Amino acid sequence: MDRRTFLKTIGVGLAGAAGGTLLTPHPSKAQVVFDGMEFSGILVDTTRCIGCRRCEKACAEVNNLPVPNISETANEAVFKKMRKTTDIQYTVTNLYETEKGNFFVPWRCMHCNQPGCRSACLVYAMQKRTTGHVTWDTNCMGCRLCMLSCPFDIPKFEYQEAIPRIQKCNLCFGRFNKGKVPGCVEACPTEALMFGTRRKLLEEGKRRIAQNPGKYVHHIYGEYEVGGTSHLYLSAVPFQQIGLRTDLGAVAYPVYSLVYLTAIPFIATLTPLFMLGIARAVRMRKEREEKEEKGKEEKEKHK
Amino acid sequence: MSSVNEEIGNVEIKNFREFWSFFRSELKPKGPIFKPFNIISAPVIVIGIGLIIYRLIAGLGATTNLSQEFPWGMWIGFDVIVGVAFAGGGYTLAFIVYILGMDKFRPILRATVLNAFLAYVFYAGAIILDIGRWWNGANAFFGIRYGVSSVMFIVAWHFLLYMLTLGLEFSPAFAEWLGMKRLRKILGAATVGAVIFGVMLSIHHQSGLGALFAMTKGKLHPLWYTEFIPVLFFISSMFAGLCLIIFEGTISHKVFEFQIEEEHHKAYPDIVVGLARISAGIMFAYFFLNIFMVHHDGELVLLGTPMGYWYLTEVIGLVLIPGLMFIHGVQHKNLFIIRVAAVLALIGIVVNRLNCVFIAYKWNLPLAERYYPYWIEVWITLTIIFIEIWVFRWIINRMAVMRKPPEWAAALERH
Amino acid sequence: MIKKSIILPAVICLLILVIIAMNTVYSVPTYAPPKEVIWTKPESKIGIAHTEIFGMLERPQVIFDHKKHAEALVKEGKKEWETCNACHPVDEGNALIFDFPKKVVKKEKDSVMNAYHDQCISCHKEKVQEGKKSGPVICADCHKEDHKNVKVKYPVAEFDFAHHDKHVKNKKLKEDCSLCHHTYDAEEPDETLRLVYEQGTEESCYYCHDTEKKRGPELAPIVRVTAKKGLTIRKASHLQCLNCHVEFAKKAKKDEKAGPVECSKCHTGEYKTISELAKVPQPDRNQPEKTLIDIENARMKGVGFNHSSHEKYNRTCRGCHHETLKACKECHGITGTPEGNMVNVADAYHNVVSEHSCSGCHGIKKSEKECAGCHHNIAPVDIETMNPKKETCARCHTGKKERIPILPLSVAGLDPEKVKKEVTVKILENEFEPSKFPHLDIIKKLVKISNDSKLATYFHTKMQTICDGCHHRSKAEAEAKKDTPPFCRNCHPVAYDPEKLNKTKLLSAYHRQCLGCHEMMDLEKGRKCSECHKEKKEPKSITSIKNFELPTRLLEKFGWTPVTN
Repeated sequence: MDRRTFLKTIGVGLAGAAGGTLLTPHPSKAQVVFDGMEFSGILVDTTRCIGCRRCEKACAEVNNLPVPNISETANEAVFKKMRKTTDIQYTVTNLYETEKGNFFVPWRCMHCNQPGCRSACLVYAMQKRTTGHVTWDTNCMGCRLCMLSCPFDIPKFEYQEAIPRIQKCNLCFGRFNKGKVPGCVEACPTEALMFGTRRKLLEEGKRRIAQNPGKYVHHIYGEYEVGGTSHLYLSAVPFQQIGLRTDLGAVAYPVYSLVYLTAIPFIATLTPLFMLGIARAVRMRKEREEKEEKGKEEKEKHK
Repeated sequence: MSSVNEEIGNVEIKNFREFWSFFRSELKPKGPIFKPFNIISAPVIVIGIGLIIYRLIAGLGATTNLSQEFPWGMWIGFDVIVGVAFAGGGYTLAFIVYILGMDKFRPILRATVLNAFLAYVFYAGAIILDIGRWWNGANAFFGIRYGVSSVMFIVAWHFLLYMLTLGLEFSPAFAEWLGMKRLRKILGAATVGAVIFGVMLSIHHQSGLGALFAMTKGKLHPLWYTEFIPVLFFISSMFAGLCLIIFEGTISHKVFEFQIEEEHHKAYPDIVVGLARISAGIMFAYFFLNIFMVHHDGELVLLGTPMGYWYLTEVIGLVLIPGLMFIHGVQHKNLFIIRVAAVLALIGIVVNRLNCVFIAYKWNLPLAERYYPYWIEVWITLTIIFIEIWVFRWIINRMAVMRKPPEWAAALERH
Repeated sequence: MIKKSIILPAVICLLILVIIAMNTVYSVPTYAPPKEVIWTKPESKIGIAHTEIFGMLERPQVIFDHKKHAEALVKEGKKEWETCNACHPVDEGNALIFDFPKKVVKKEKDSVMNAYHDQCISCHKEKVQEGKKSGPVICADCHKEDHKNVKVKYPVAEFDFAHHDKHVKNKKLKEDCSLCHHTYDAEEPDETLRLVYEQGTEESCYYCHDTEKKRGPELAPIVRVTAKKGLTIRKASHLQCLNCHVEFAKKAKKDEKAGPVECSKCHTGEYKTISELAKVPQPDRNQPEKTLIDIENARMKGVGFNHSSHEKYNRTCRGCHHETLKACKECHGITGTPEGNMVNVADAYHNVVSEHSCSGCHGIKKSEKECAGCHHNIAPVDIETMNPKKETCARCHTGKKERIPILPLSVAGLDPEKVKKEVTVKILENEFEPSKFPHLDIIKKLVKISNDSKLATYFHTKMQTICDGCHHRSKAEAEAKKDTPPFCRNCHPVAYDPEKLNKTKLLSAYHRQCLGCHEMMDLEKGRKCSECHKEKKEPKSITSIKNFELPTRLLEKFGWTPVTN
């Protein structure tokens, strides 16, 4: 091809690449402070939890869910099995037997700084509020990609209902807006659950570790796991022994789909140009071949 | 049988009333009603429609085996993800014919585009059945918030746009059927643009179906989970589509053989061999990429576990071996081996996609908690497939898909 | 060109394989690693595995019944002590070396395996040729599958003060300490003469023969030698003790008993308690009964230390004398020295987390059940405590050798008006009836526990110390003058303040204090909710406690604006 065509092609290609770069979504860094507002969270000290399950009862009362029986006899039977959260229980407590003794560990949504569920939701029914709460909204389609994308398997779907919802702890967002602490925190008799800003909770957790060096594992679970969560755990034994996965890495889960999302604008701008180029090249070659064929035929005729 | 070989485009529709009466007249069946296929598929469809209504009213718990551990099952795994992979022939073949200019494959192009279009309408459309709150289904398109960080958002929009694009690509046949010459001219000119747009959209959503699993790290078995799942899904969709063309083409070629012209009959084996050659190349690249990914992620040791054997079965038995069979069939022009290899490759695609959805996903849960399809799920899937085949057959028997287009349309093409 | 007739069957086989593979995947059982069985009473059986040489074993380990073999040789007419050298080598001085196999081999797989096989199987074959019942010659009869996951673990044979006393009092030994005790003179040119004995320097075998411990500059060269020669405490004790017992058994007359040579007779797994050992005479090394620990140039007065009573609280001298039997200040100087591992004398006596220091050992006692209820919350006073109370230090630093006389506590002096018999807690009643607890009974019990322990009585000088266990921030003298009791709610707020996260709220103050004490003291009672407070017949909801509302000023920090309706 000639120089002009060559330069035109390069120019169009660069424009496409530039367009791709401009359109690329930038990964939002996990900001702890938005416009002066901080993420709130819960600090769970598993050495303080006595397994009374008042948190489960309070959660059920606050959210109009079936209220569990938390009498001592009921609790004895309940702790024999490991439970997971369900569509009617936003939080459950499990008993773990370790070499340092028995520990009760409450389970619920971790309210990640960069939640996989929120990033997966195609209608943003799952939202990460500026106050840190990860909440579900009724514009949800029920596609359940959030369930696939949560590293902790928290969102639960109401399969049995005709009008199903995704159910999970929302850190009592409604109560928060009325100036109250989450129900579970209010009910906890030993302050195993504490509510505050994520910053203050981390400070408190680190203070406890520093002042009781032999008592805790020197790490707050949730400080960097999956990019940081607002639900933090302190433990006396390694976290795997109380059922918390330690193989999740420090990368926030939405980053894993960035590989694909950032490629989209590039593909959108570059492949049409590329294909137009090929199509044009092919067409030109065909025309050339046809010309040659015609030329040969003409020669044959003249012969 | 005589009505099948009528000339298309004899009519000339000018307004909607004419269209409506023409359409109603075309609804009459053009062949014997009590064929074996009809006898089997009709009751399935009737009961299936009842089951679909039941599903829409009663919800997912009553009609599926989905659970909190396995939120996706046969409908999303098979209908949507496998169905869309199989429809990859639409863009692959359109790219080969329109962009690369390989006219050899032009005779089967329309059937492939029609197939892909119906696949998207019915299988991707079957998403409505699987999402729990289907009345909010349009929220991704007209809603209060757009989840722009979501892969599913991209996939949903692309499904819609691609459906329209395929519709546009097929619309010349539709215009020919109605005899609308001017419309046919406009639509014909738009085809190349639609193809390019369609290929771009396909790259997006075929790899997007893979990217849906990007955040299942830790739950999807490491041999299947890699950061390059989107690339693997995209590449496998190419040969999935071509193999489906071979497989489905074998069937339609037999069923509709009276519509096909003599010269196309003669050219057909060459087409199949050509498709096989292209598929084999893509399959070898895909196989190599798979092994490369496993090595790159340091997972070669996992190949010695039960799941490792399953992975090797999928990748060697259902990708590499069909690829080798294709090469053999191409060298010896043996259509039988090619067809068998195509079926194996299709099974391989099904196995690969279902692995990602519920077999290798949470593979370490005890058997009692694992997912297997409920009978209603299978029945509704069959219903949708049969309805799609019925629509396909109706269109083939009336429009210029297998048959030659009317002379005035062919003249437009020659320019 | 592959025929059609082959393709279809081949493809069907492939598909069947696929289905079988899928079946395997869908029925993957949860793989549980084989459970290790530990034999804690091995009854003279020995596990031969040598994983340090072989790594992962191809065949299961061999469980060798030592007793059976010794008895078999006895049956042949040999005396028990004469059977040892049938398998075990002897050194130049005719002392047994309890190694096996007899031939010294390189520590690598094939030589070790062949040596074992040669010695064991040849002996078995020999006995078979003599027409006697013998051991196995086939691989699997020794390398039994059942023994794959067995771990033979012998309880440590403790040579406690009672055993030592028996040996000292044994007339035959004539109080000759050099029979067992020796030290190593590295400077002696003749290697064979390096083990020397000097009276008055007898110490524990562990000091030189515990090759796993890191030792100071004096012992380290000796430990290097013992480690190089493989003279671990296990090997050294077997060589020393068994050889002596074997010798004695040779010379013993018919009815005389000698020391045991059978494994399970020493490794009994039964140990004397500290109180039983306290009645036994301690080894005599001219240790003082009482002493004044006075450091030159120290800032604090000397500490009067009763050595003989402290001896009775430990199983061995090594509890305190962790490196040598010298006094602490002989290695630990005022500033850190290499002999003392750079630990200065103040730290040596006051380190609260060490097992060997005074404060550390007292700290371990304080974490026992009876004491932990109060003491788990009380930070120990150590040299880093700011402004420690003078009385606390003066309790030990008296400057006199004699201990301060100690007096037990008594509830007799308590004013029944101020110190209530029963206390009712009803400030937070919502779901539960008010809680009544037996205040005076608890005080009486704590006083009894304190009086029963010499350590506790020494440090609990006033009744107020007992009160401090629960009323931890009150000043007892000031409280005594007030009309109202020291309520917990005087300091612990009812409301929740997310800004002050480490200030315990009242509800959790009650529960963590009470439940914490019950848990640390391992009490049976008082662990269930209903034991302390009964449920109300019509309880209000958990979450209706009005006081738990966030103050508005804090909410605004969260970006909250008041909801008007």
